[in-house]
Amino acid sequence: MQGITSELHTGRAKKRSLWLDIGIRVIKNKAAMVGFVILAVLILLALFADVIADYDTVVIQQDLANMNQGPSLEHILGTDEFGRDIFARIIHGGRISLAVGLVSVCFSLVVGGILGALAGYYGGRFDNIIMRCMDIFLAIPSILLAMAIVTALGSSLLNLMIAVGISNIPSYARIVRASVLTIKDQEFIEAARAIGGNDFRIIMRHILPNTLAPVIVQATLGVAGAILSTASLSFIGLGIQPPAPEWGAMLSNGRTYLRSAWHVATFPGIFIMVTILSLNLLGDGLRDALDPKLKQ
Amino acid sequence: MYKYIIKRLALLLPVLIGVSFIVFTIMYFTPGDPAQIILGENATEEALANLREEMGLNDSFFVQYSRFIINAVQGDFGRSYQSNRVVFDEIFSRFPATLQLAGIGVLLSVLIGIPVGVISATKQYSFFDNTTMVFALIGVSMPNFWQGLMLIMLFSVWLGILPSGGYGDWTYFILPAITLGTSSAGSIARMTRSSMLEVIRQDYIRTARAKGVLEKNVVYKHALKNALIPIITVVGLQFGYLLGGAVLTETVFSWPGIGRLLVDSIKQKDTPMVQGLVVFIAVTFSIVNLCIDILYSYVDPRIKSQYK
Amino acid sequence: MKTTRFISIALALALSASLFTGCSNSSSSSGSSTGSQGIKEEIVIAQNSDAKSLDLQASNDGGSLNVNAQIYDTLVVKNADGTFSPHLAKSWEQVSDLVWQFKLEEGVKFHNGEELKASDVKFTFERGLTSTISYMLDFIDSVDVVDEYTFNLNLKFPYAPILSNLSYTSTGILNEKAVTEAGEDYGQNPIGTGAYMFSNWKAGDSIELVAFEDYFKGAAPTKKLKYRSIPENTSRSIALETGEVDIAYDIDPVDKETIRSNDQLVLIEAPSLQVDYVGFNMQKEPFTDVRVRQAINYAIDREGIISAVLLGGGEVATTPISPKVTMSNPDIVGYPRDVEKAKELLKEAGYENGFQTTIWTNDNSVRTRIAQIVQANLKEIGIDVAIETLEWSSYLDRTSNGEHDMFILGWTATTGDPDGAMYVLFHGSSSATAGNKFFYSNDEVSELLDLGRAETDDAKRQEYYYKAQELVVEDAPLAALYYANDCAGISAKVDGFVLSPSKSHKLYGVTCAI
Repeated sequence: MQGITSELHTGRAKKRSLWLDIGIRVIKNKAAMVGFVILAVLILLALFADVIADYDTVVIQQDLANMNQGPSLEHILGTDEFGRDIFARIIHGGRISLAVGLVSVCFSLVVGGILGALAGYYGGRFDNIIMRCMDIFLAIPSILLAMAIVTALGSSLLNLMIAVGISNIPSYARIVRASVLTIKDQEFIEAARAIGGNDFRIIMRHILPNTLAPVIVQATLGVAGAILSTASLSFIGLGIQPPAPEWGAMLSNGRTYLRSAWHVATFPGIFIMVTILSLNLLGDGLRDALDPKLKQ
Repeated sequence: MYKYIIKRLALLLPVLIGVSFIVFTIMYFTPGDPAQIILGENATEEALANLREEMGLNDSFFVQYSRFIINAVQGDFGRSYQSNRVVFDEIFSRFPATLQLAGIGVLLSVLIGIPVGVISATKQYSFFDNTTMVFALIGVSMPNFWQGLMLIMLFSVWLGILPSGGYGDWTYFILPAITLGTSSAGSIARMTRSSMLEVIRQDYIRTARAKGVLEKNVVYKHALKNALIPIITVVGLQFGYLLGGAVLTETVFSWPGIGRLLVDSIKQKDTPMVQGLVVFIAVTFSIVNLCIDILYSYVDPRIKSQYK
Repeated sequence: MKTTRFISIALALALSASLFTGCSNSSSSSGSSTGSQGIKEEIVIAQNSDAKSLDLQASNDGGSLNVNAQIYDTLVVKNADGTFSPHLAKSWEQVSDLVWQFKLEEGVKFHNGEELKASDVKFTFERGLTSTISYMLDFIDSVDVVDEYTFNLNLKFPYAPILSNLSYTSTGILNEKAVTEAGEDYGQNPIGTGAYMFSNWKAGDSIELVAFEDYFKGAAPTKKLKYRSIPENTSRSIALETGEVDIAYDIDPVDKETIRSNDQLVLIEAPSLQVDYVGFNMQKEPFTDVRVRQAINYAIDREGIISAVLLGGGEVATTPISPKVTMSNPDIVGYPRDVEKAKELLKEAGYENGFQTTIWTNDNSVRTRIAQIVQANLKEIGIDVAIETLEWSSYLDRTSNGEHDMFILGWTATTGDPDGAMYVLFHGSSSATAGNKFFYSNDEVSELLDLGRAETDDAKRQEYYYKAQELVVEDAPLAALYYANDCAGISAKVDGFVLSPSKSHKLYGVTCAI
């Protein structure tokens, strides 16, 4: 009933109830809510990281006498190879992972989205050229790209974000392009053009908002992917510099102590997995909620 | 059909040229002198200068690139800076290890993933469905390298029943294959389930049931066959990706495949080897994609008619 | 449906076929067949990298050296006490200041049946002078063949350590015919005079050697050797523990205790010829000031590094050359940790509030750990150090260009001779590319090093080198950290294994009981 009455109002009201619909559907999905809650906890921990554990004194301060201690009352997840508290480092590492995830996805999304929208909208040769370029990018191993960027610009947090971001541009370009292709032939676009809207306005106000659904899903999963990529790059030694507590780097460093102090490698791995899991749950939930075919 | 295949292969060429140009540019502009790496820490200035001259490293960017293209077109990618072996000989000697691992990984994931996906779809929301989907999700979310490490810890270190790395008889395949297989199995199971669910809702399935077709046939003969396309896509993508050498898994298990070769070559600025590998991986991936597309045509005749 | 099924079955068969061919091609990893006298026919060794090339002169990386040490022989060998024994050369004589004459053993065969002649030596050294290992042969001006088994080495300058260099694996003798015939592919088809000949190489995985029956010192008792490349330190130790390999090189400090306490295994540890250090780029401020360099020397917690990173497997370094190198100065005190003194020196130099700088390291896990400890140590005296990890090629390149501030590196005096330990690092004429990444130049030191390499009288030589070391330590172009122990793990059933300080361990005569 609500949907029908709102149709009679202005476009704005209709949009709001649509989003409300989607929101309700997500909340009803138990799995997605589990993911959301876990994610919320992780984000909170990351935001309040400094309150929980001071960076200088706890996270990077070495205490060689206490290296590789197992979990205890003082250090709930134990200490690493330099005697630093693992729990504190994981919390601060969460900041890095989430930051890289979000920023790199935004970067890929914006650049890829624009390219995909332009390609889909204008079509023809332009589309062909852009998509071939995307193919070329896809064919280049992301490690090579990351390595190039890191060696050329140095291995800082920002450059890591750029490296991860660049390698994901093609997937967003593809998705947006596909959406644009399905939408652009619809009647309301013709109508907008008939009224005299210029291309830019049409793309921004009509086409892009309708591509949001698949993009949101991809973005959620993309953050998970970006976190994994960051950890992977750190694992092979191309990531952030010590003493930064990045999860992948902690895993890599703990590799050597697998036999005597397995907790050093295990706990960061668990956190990586849980973060990715919750993002996947949320992404799945969003996908189900946004799927028009599931409208009952 | 043949025209289609040839057209696809021809399209590969501009992509390869573009890729090799970008890779060459990257290798050219990142710091690191191959001559220094070959001669090592003790090299004299003179020896380095001589070697650089010999390797043609002092020529301009375009001269070097043209030289590379002219040779590449004739199939000559030169010799590795590190081992001096002919590039493609080296790649082909290490590729079987990657191929075998990819093959077994995909086989494992298909054998587990598809049946699980089908059963989950037919018994949606059942205990089986919920549990397996949780496992599938965990499989997809677990970082490969971490899983590999945990498996090594459990089976090699604590139990001592499986080797911890390297390449040898069938026992060496078990842990890496499980590592690769589980995450692939996860995505295949999820994709199979969602694809099956889509198909099962279709009218023609209802019709088949109404006609009295056996449930078993409904599921396998009608539903699965039509659900196959997205499933094949995922399987193909996984296989293609694995053929590029699952770098992290190969690192953790000291597997002598091309993934590790790529990372090592990049680190050592072995440009001929990097170029050879990138081209090789791009071609392999495209061929896999092509095979998938051809498979589509056998599964869905409507697609076949498009391939003119 | 039928076609799909057919295709899927075909694919499955193809995949399984590749699986089985792969499995049957791989040889079993433990040589379990019985040899004579109850010893294993094949010994398996695990090392941390694959060989780059079996062309002795093409590469001097550890992986290649370990294998090449079995394939090739040198003219002389160095004994544990520092004296030299004949090997391929049965006698030698210094005929004049710049000429040494050598007589070869007669009847020594190469793996291809050819006999070792003086012409092979001439070919080897002339080729070597333009190869990767030219720095080992740089003192040679030319080689004259006197007769079939006699040759003269004409030197560029009087060179005291000549025999040390000629005892090092890389100066082994090649067969002229084999090298010229094989051309570019020689690196995969090596021919030497050594106890083992090349049999098979699975790239990235393993190299197989078989005993040379006509070896001039008698055929080796163990008939086959297999070198496996296992880069992960822990995996290598695990392979040793499970019996997959009989010998494992370069045991990671964390695994040492496990191996030591295992009855079936033996841990062999010995001081090496390597010194690890933090170096300073003396061209850049504030490292231009000797007080700053000394302050840093006082601030570094060497004991902490040895106990935390090496888990005790090393000695605190005082002089920049390892005690295993002849003429290493034992009287040098070095810089025992003294944070107060460090702060004082910094204050004197005008840096009371410290400064910011960077330390470079390559992505070697031991070195990055050291960097982190040094970073923490220097924080105590107010110096803020950012760590930059570069991969090896960038690292070499950019340090050669002098872009760095501080850097972590190691140096192995492979010949065991003080010239090899100091000249390239500390002589004013030595370039950064060659090893002097400190851009260090002290005229007195350079003169002493020049005198040292020409002087044949050992007592005088020692004087020069002792003094040179004193001066270098005072000037502090580097902070020598420690002398690491070399270690290998072997099965308790292995007999006759000796660690070679130059890290190319010969396995002739080594056996493993069944």
